[in-house]
Amino acid sequence: MLTVALPKGGLLSDSIRLLQSIGLDFSAFLDASNRQLEIWDTHQTAKALLVRNNDVPVYVEYGQAQLGIVGYDILREKQPRVAQLLDLHYGQCRLSVAVKASSPYRSAIELPPHSRVASKFVNCAHTYFQGLDLPVEIVPLYGSVELGPITGMSEAIVDLVASGRTLKENNLIEIDPIFESTARLIAHPLSYRLNQDGVQDRIEQIRQAIETARRV
Amino acid sequence: MVYQPPVGARDLFPLDVAQKRWIEDRLQQVFHGWGYHRIITSTLERLDTLMAGGAIDPTTVIQLQDREGEFLGLRPELTASIARAAVTRLAGAPYPQRLYYNANVFRRTARDTRQHEFYQAGVELLGAGSVAADAEMLLLVLDCLRNLNLNDSTVILGEAGLTRSLLSSFPEALRPAVRSAIAHLDRIQLEQLPLTDELRDRALLLLDLRGQPMDVLQRVSQLALATEQRATVNRLKSLMELLQQAIGSSPAQPNILLDLSLIQTFDYYTGIVFEAVSATGQQVLGQGGRYDQLLGLYHPKGESQPGIGFVMNIEGLHQVLLPTGCLPTQTPPSDWLVVPNSPESHGAAFTYAQKIRESDHRVRVEVELERSSPDEVRSYAQRRQIQQIVWIDPAGQPMIESID
Repeated sequence: MLTVALPKGGLLSDSIRLLQSIGLDFSAFLDASNRQLEIWDTHQTAKALLVRNNDVPVYVEYGQAQLGIVGYDILREKQPRVAQLLDLHYGQCRLSVAVKASSPYRSAIELPPHSRVASKFVNCAHTYFQGLDLPVEIVPLYGSVELGPITGMSEAIVDLVASGRTLKENNLIEIDPIFESTARLIAHPLSYRLNQDGVQDRIEQIRQAIETARRV
Repeated sequence: MVYQPPVGARDLFPLDVAQKRWIEDRLQQVFHGWGYHRIITSTLERLDTLMAGGAIDPTTVIQLQDREGEFLGLRPELTASIARAAVTRLAGAPYPQRLYYNANVFRRTARDTRQHEFYQAGVELLGAGSVAADAEMLLLVLDCLRNLNLNDSTVILGEAGLTRSLLSSFPEALRPAVRSAIAHLDRIQLEQLPLTDELRDRALLLLDLRGQPMDVLQRVSQLALATEQRATVNRLKSLMELLQQAIGSSPAQPNILLDLSLIQTFDYYTGIVFEAVSATGQQVLGQGGRYDQLLGLYHPKGESQPGIGFVMNIEGLHQVLLPTGCLPTQTPPSDWLVVPNSPESHGAAFTYAQKIRESDHRVRVEVELERSSPDEVRSYAQRRQIQQIVWIDPAGQPMIESID
């Protein structure tokens, strides 16, 4: 049975629309009254798991789902052992360094050594500052990272920026983008090699759906 | 004070051991049947021995330091140890050497709460480099899987030498990135590398060069191949034909899938590489390959010998076999409980118990040590599923009672 892991949150509706276009209907997840975490498509040919963004690559790495849709940011942060097959081109955002608008610093390299940087993306932030050869203390947070500079706990943050509105409303400014992210189609490597449950055909259908969508 | 095992360690209780032994006994039968002999090497190795082959990431080795400051590691696999031992101590022995092992290995993982100690049973065939030696190894893998009732598993077969050679047409600066992307099935990365259209198509072709062996070989043959590459393709073809002949018409067989994207990011394997995978694709049951350069690294004069081997992962096999119901669900009960009916008859009880043991080497006999009331003894026998109680009087006279 083909199982797809889908992320809660911003990528969900686009992902469901994409799967609908290849004949897999999981739109029940969009219903506000839905409390189910696992649903079958209307033709009973595939199953979807609704999980946290961060958990999508986990289900795929362990093979409980053959396919998954997840942001590139998560893949960079967690480095899961999954096959990365397709850029789905939605869910665009970037991981950036931001500081208080009143901060004297206008680029990451200007930050004083050993300053604190708050982030949910601990590994990405660490790698980035290591690449700059700038020693900083990364403070792991699980949400509302913007509060770091506002409360004075940290000099800067490393966080995802889409429209930039949240930063602006909190008097923060983006100073350096680290990388761009979009939604990606990932697969369990062995299921991909063994072509289990017709996974290759599904991937090909998704590839065509994406290409068609991009031509219009 | 509560003493706990270290994180990632686990204890195996009698039932766990009985299940592990069930698997290991079946593998050992196959190894013996093919004329392999067991080797036991040291659990501790010098770190440089473990690292010499280039396939081990030092951060995954649990390290120790001896009194002289020498760096040691708990072995993460056995091929390095066997290669070290074989080149120095088996020199002069007639080749090929057929060796097997059944041992624990240790690995540190990035997510450090995962298991640290694992059990492996594997073989090394040293000093044989022919297609027939490759075939022996694959037939041995198939035999192991069959003997464990795992006919629904798949053996994914690659050719590290051929794939590496096909990668040599990529510009040197990009080759590691192409190789890493293919090894990790990262199609997005391949599509983003600054390659010409022709090379990109070639990379994408390599990424998906898998399927029924003869179909894949057909597809590879159509590429523009150098003489050496064509020779490797022909060798693979001979291997597949040889396997076909050897397996013949025997019905139930694990499937063989040829997958030329199956490579590592390091140059350890030189010829065929393979993984045995469970039917669900969720467990790697075993893996191996040909390493013709490895033995030379351990030889004082750098003289190499061909080598090929594989290892079966006992934990992976256990997880796949447990739900099938073929593993033992309880430890074997004792056949007899010998009970002295008074403190004076203890000596006689031990003597009688020994007499039963000597009558049949497989019989299990317990002597009751401390219980005095017959009802307690009977309830113990029932709980332990012991079917026969022998009451012994001080004169050594037995009285047999059956428990149902």
